[in-house]
Amino acid sequence: MINNSLTGKKHANHLWNSFKKQAYLQAFVLIGILFLFVFSYIPMIGLIIAFKDYVLTDGVKGFFTSPWVGLKYFMEFFTEVDSGMIIRNTFGISILKVIFTFPVPIIFAIMISEVGPLKYKKVVQTASYLPHFISWVVVYGLVFSFFSNDGVINSALKSLNIIDKSLPFLTDPSKFWPLAVISDAWKEFGWWAIIFIAAIVGIDPSIYEAAQIDGASRLQKIRYVTLPGIQGTICVVLILTLGNLLGGGMSGSNFEQSLLLGNNLNREASEILQTHILKVGLVQLRYSYAAAVGMLQSVISVVMIFGSNFIIKKLSGTGLY
Amino acid sequence: MKNIKNEDRIFKIINYTFLTLLTFLTIYPFYYILIISLNSGIDASRGGIYFFPRVLTFENYEKILSDSKWINALGVSVFRTVVGTILSVFFTSIVAYGLSHKTLVFRKFYYSIIIFSMYFSGGLIPYYVLLKSLGITNTVWVYIIPLLLNSFLVLIMISFFNEISPSLRESAYIDGANDLRIFLQIILPISKPVLATAVLFTAVNHWNSWIDSAYFVSKPGLRTMSYLMMEIINRSQASNMGDLQSAFRSTTSVTTRSIQSAVIIVSTVPILLSYPFLQKYFVKGIMLGSVKE
Repeated sequence: MINNSLTGKKHANHLWNSFKKQAYLQAFVLIGILFLFVFSYIPMIGLIIAFKDYVLTDGVKGFFTSPWVGLKYFMEFFTEVDSGMIIRNTFGISILKVIFTFPVPIIFAIMISEVGPLKYKKVVQTASYLPHFISWVVVYGLVFSFFSNDGVINSALKSLNIIDKSLPFLTDPSKFWPLAVISDAWKEFGWWAIIFIAAIVGIDPSIYEAAQIDGASRLQKIRYVTLPGIQGTICVVLILTLGNLLGGGMSGSNFEQSLLLGNNLNREASEILQTHILKVGLVQLRYSYAAAVGMLQSVISVVMIFGSNFIIKKLSGTGLY
Repeated sequence: MKNIKNEDRIFKIINYTFLTLLTFLTIYPFYYILIISLNSGIDASRGGIYFFPRVLTFENYEKILSDSKWINALGVSVFRTVVGTILSVFFTSIVAYGLSHKTLVFRKFYYSIIIFSMYFSGGLIPYYVLLKSLGITNTVWVYIIPLLLNSFLVLIMISFFNEISPSLRESAYIDGANDLRIFLQIILPISKPVLATAVLFTAVNHWNSWIDSAYFVSKPGLRTMSYLMMEIINRSQASNMGDLQSAFRSTTSVTTRSIQSAVIIVSTVPILLSYPFLQKYFVKGIMLGSVKE
């Protein structure tokens, strides 16, 4: 016993001594931790206003002093708002993105890896990830120029006499989901392909040579060498994608897309949890209610991250942790 | 054998066609906006322009550059991008440098604080309350201070700093340098690749942001370029839906649509010009990030 507490004390002393020796390094890190405490952890604590009647004039102090109201605002979301539509859109758009935009960078990476001439390869790849760096506002402008009633696509179709009245791509609710999925795939496929291309480059070339000797065609090589070779990378990216399912997959684009491409006419297909939170919270100034909806979003997200990691680890043996 | 050769040839044809088409689909929208921005607005609204400007003019650009609202927004965007990026990359790298020391006391604890903040967030509303309480809403600092530390970049930088030989630091210690001096004079100069990656990500993020400008700021003089661009596209959207007439149409040959195209080009060009040079760095950066995450 005595011995134990002595070594414990010694240990603490030792720790303190190394801490002092690292004064500069500790200071560097602690400033960062302090920053995170203010800008990440105080808002997390602030989530308790979801269970309270909070008024903005109370500031951060009001997180603690405002009166409790229990689950009032959660009930309100599920009973008084068109929450069914919002939840359907949030999950619908996200799941469509996993199904349709997740495979695009993989296919693109495989195809570009089959290309011989370096210069051609470089031009195609450089062009492919340009849209990743462009803001969603610019993409909104491009989408508008191409898909609006007098946009490129409608006027081209009209001058070819395929249609005689403009197709309302931007206002028809049934067109919002495809528009969101396609614009997301267009913007991000080249960027995410970088990882897969690197994984393909990392495959041992002697395996391809062996397949060549066995008389494999290119498609067979893709099927039996390339795909198994990048399976681990596919799993990791899939976990990241599913983990951010509600945000809109790999690139987390749902919020900005719905905010920009959504309007009063296509609202029944474009309103998602995040836009609902923004409108109710920052426009109608109903903070507690909006925080309650925000809490739902945060909790579902965390469950998705650990859930998808768990499931994929079980299935394939590849996980993040 | 013959069969396989034929199959491979067909594959090759399909592959090249597909990739060329895809590249066209990526480039053409930007090219189209460029020619519209260089064409007279009234003329463009007649339609039929697909590959070359019909009535070449710089009027759209002149209009933007003579409008104090746009000049001011451009200034705000440049300010937040330059100042915000310098401060954020410096702050992020110094935190990462501290954390990269394997012998750091409480290292695991600091790590878990960072990782947890990446997965769980309080969401928009408490965040807004915080910004409001700090008194930085409606000032230019609301663009800069909240983005000072980027946890994702901290992780990327740690993996870079870990690869720097410890002997470099040890010899500096022996010479009597402290960690701040070592960081500034030895570590930063040899970390150009990872700093370039961080600068690119941070600068693009600053340049493209508009939600903070839309909701955390209400003074017109503090609006960013991206925000005004969003506003003008919304306006053409509204006029497209028959709600209101195009604002510029009466005075010159400039239309909302042509102005909008010129603005898109102005905000895209800086990114277009910088990213090919930084390519070699950020490709490495994203690889590190995805592997370590």
